[in-house]
Amino acid sequence: MPTFLTVNGEQKVSMRAPMTPLIDVLREEFQLTGAKNVCREGICGACTVLVDGRPVVSCLVPVGSIPNAEVRTVESLADDGELSPLQRIMEEHDVVQCGMCFPGILMALTSFFKECPHADKDEIRAALVGNICRCTGYERLIDAAVALAKSS
Amino acid sequence: MVDADPSTVRMNLSRRDARDKLLGRTNYTVDRAYPRMLHAAIRRADVASARIVRLDTTRARQMPGVRAIATIDDAPGMHGIGIADHPLFASGVIRFHGEQIAAVAADTLEQAEAAAAAIELELEPLPAVLTMEEALAPGAPLVHPGWKDYEILVEGAARGGNVAWEATVIRGDTDAAFARDDVTIVESCFRVGRQNHVSLEGRAVVAAFEDGRYRIETSTQVPWTVRNQTAKLLGVAPSMVQVTVPPVGGGFGQKFDCTLEPYAAILARKSGRPVRLVYSRQEEMLTCLCRENADIKMRSAVTGDGEIVGREAVVLMDCGAYGGEQIFLTTMTAHTLTGNYRLGSVKLVSRAVYTNTAPNGAFRACNGVYNTFAMECHTDEICQAIGMDPLEFRRRQVLGDGDIGATGQVFEGDVLGPMLDRMEAMRARSPSKKDEAGDRLYGRATVVGTWFVFVGPSTATINLNADGSATLITAAVEIGQGTTVQALPQIVAHELGIHPDKVIVRGADTDAAGFDLGVGGGRTTVSVGAASKAAARVVRDRILETAGELLQTKPEKLVLKEGRVEIAGVPGSGMTIAQVVQRAHQVSGPVVGSGSFTNPGTAAMPGCAAGHFIDAIDIPVFNVHDCEVAVDPDTGHVDILSYRVVQDVGRALNPRAIHGQIQGGVTQGIGYALHEEHTIGDDGCIRQNSLETYRVPLALDTLPIEIELYEGAPSIGPLGVKGAGEVPILNPPAALACAIRNATGCRVQQTPMTPPRILGYMTGHEPALELPHIAEDWWDNVLMTPPAR
Repeated sequence: MPTFLTVNGEQKVSMRAPMTPLIDVLREEFQLTGAKNVCREGICGACTVLVDGRPVVSCLVPVGSIPNAEVRTVESLADDGELSPLQRIMEEHDVVQCGMCFPGILMALTSFFKECPHADKDEIRAALVGNICRCTGYERLIDAAVALAKSS
Repeated sequence: MVDADPSTVRMNLSRRDARDKLLGRTNYTVDRAYPRMLHAAIRRADVASARIVRLDTTRARQMPGVRAIATIDDAPGMHGIGIADHPLFASGVIRFHGEQIAAVAADTLEQAEAAAAAIELELEPLPAVLTMEEALAPGAPLVHPGWKDYEILVEGAARGGNVAWEATVIRGDTDAAFARDDVTIVESCFRVGRQNHVSLEGRAVVAAFEDGRYRIETSTQVPWTVRNQTAKLLGVAPSMVQVTVPPVGGGFGQKFDCTLEPYAAILARKSGRPVRLVYSRQEEMLTCLCRENADIKMRSAVTGDGEIVGREAVVLMDCGAYGGEQIFLTTMTAHTLTGNYRLGSVKLVSRAVYTNTAPNGAFRACNGVYNTFAMECHTDEICQAIGMDPLEFRRRQVLGDGDIGATGQVFEGDVLGPMLDRMEAMRARSPSKKDEAGDRLYGRATVVGTWFVFVGPSTATINLNADGSATLITAAVEIGQGTTVQALPQIVAHELGIHPDKVIVRGADTDAAGFDLGVGGGRTTVSVGAASKAAARVVRDRILETAGELLQTKPEKLVLKEGRVEIAGVPGSGMTIAQVVQRAHQVSGPVVGSGSFTNPGTAAMPGCAAGHFIDAIDIPVFNVHDCEVAVDPDTGHVDILSYRVVQDVGRALNPRAIHGQIQGGVTQGIGYALHEEHTIGDDGCIRQNSLETYRVPLALDTLPIEIELYEGAPSIGPLGVKGAGEVPILNPPAALACAIRNATGCRVQQTPMTPPRILGYMTGHEPALELPHIAEDWWDNVLMTPPAR
């Protein structure tokens, strides 16, 4: 049974079985490999995407459960190749290391900043609790996010 | 020769790979897919010890989509470090829960998994030894009954029964030291658990068999090791294997060995199609090559003014079912458990012990982390016994210029002493956070640590291009540490007088770059950096020679700066490097240079170390860490109030990048200290099979680390650098344990320091650790025979 979706503004049809995790549809069927398969149990947050504007761990979302949904992945953040302010501040602060967690972290923070653009450090820290990063020890990327919140 | 523009070498150069990583475009191994590509799955053992009576793949072969199945028949070789004890598939017997029995390639992953499960297996149970205590008991079943028949790759170690490898240090007369009537004897026991790397990109490979050669694209830290080990296991010449490495999504030592690559290689040859094998998170949790669990007993004879006149120690390292990296790491015990402080005499044995559990491996600073934990806790126990302030003790006893280390090597320069001074100044600058502890117990500790750079051979080639850019070809891998996008381009650019952005760094490819030991042990900036600098020096000489002819000026009167060759002191007098290269094309051909590096070797005291892979350390690296904690007396929960680091970096090429490594490394160390642990169930299976039960630090657990980089310590590294990425993890368990001890008055003997354990210490419910399998008499813990006594 096909599932109709809007992915990063484009009309898409998934032909996968309805119980297929959204992450597999994005990565394997639509070749959007930005979101990462890390734990497939909803714990690490590396597969976070926005479904109808809300952040979800796409490994736990059966594609058949979100017919006609609007899905946004990390690939959609840069408009015409221009980094989003969040991406730019992460680049400027040189906080990326291996990079595997960032697609999820960027989506979680993008959604969070839409709700709370002036969040303080503690709020930003709490917003990141669903995203595991094993390289950075978080602080420098939190500082970058705080700098963005202060400038907005 | 006039130096290249010095302004380019130290800079906070941003990562060139950050943008694609932020855009979600970086193509890691797990993201790669090819036409006709098959998916592979591994059939694993679900018991810890058994004889394989029958293995039948007939039914599995007939399953839908199956294209190839590999078993022990396809991989005749054995591999290992020091001893070749490890077959690719369980060979006749199963030695650990999770061991690989067969591999299947099919059109889809689901088909491969179904076929793997359909392989028929008949087993006869064998007794298992799941702990080192069981493995070392008299009459214990042997994990490797045929251990005597294994190929020895490095001579000189004692081995026997379940002792895979034994390394010893005997220097001076500890018997006499302990018999002195002016010493206090302090004895301590410690036990640590296993730590999982949790690289977000687990192990992954895509292999193909093309033009008669294996082409392996893999998420590894060691392309040359993968090439050589794959060849050894498959029984082919190493030149038949090519290894390339895409961007790696985290390593931390986990990918410092060849692991899953040979399965994919065999399946690719058998099927004639590219084969992808990606370990699931569950497979990564259950078989990850962890930092090993270990048991440590040590005692020291110390005079009233803090002189350690003798030390005896026994360290048991659980290597799991196969020796692996632990064989090498027996060496490093000498330099950590008996490092840091001057020692009059020492007897030390470090044993890798076989158990029927998943094999362990390398993890950032490896056994240095727990040996430092043990030694610093032991040091504070010494201080209590002799009534000396721990900081005062450290100031007096740390190794300085001309002091000898455990194996008798002579240390150069006063480093730890001035670093302690630096930490004291740092502490003095900001007020204590004691008030934040409130009603909780407050504690503070300053600890020291000694680790090393795992130097070893590297090579580099540089092609100077006609547009003035340079292409650097090495086998260095980018695992997130930044070396290939920051330090290496900075070093080359410095030598050639160009901007680092003009240095193209080719990804690792064993067909293009020469031999390299891989990324690990803090070695890339040092070893690949030195080889790159040497290659750049050759290129630089060619530029100056050609430009000298064009400018009618002696080469030594020329400088390279900002992409130009100039006559010294006459800006604008020269020409661009691009113009020089174009000229070279006409008169002498393209400008290419190569360079190589290896460590010169550092002398130890002859005859005192046995079974060691290296007798002395070429580049020691030192740490001073300080932390303040608050311990909740009702729950045992530990809050870290402040954390400070003074790290010896030799010379900081990119201070901001080093700060990033320190923040990340300390956080990983805090996780290991406070909550990360794998334990083994009665069935021999690791209990924590997901990130739900294995708890890594999250954003709410961390705090900003205050950092000072200590520069100027002696180093053979290029421009005086030392590796900076590995060593930050060395000290957090030591710092936290000593601070918790100061807060609670309780002796800390085990990691992780979980709330129940700390509460147990405080209430007396946590029994004191005893290690009955470590004998009182040091000589009863070694295979070697004592001299007549």
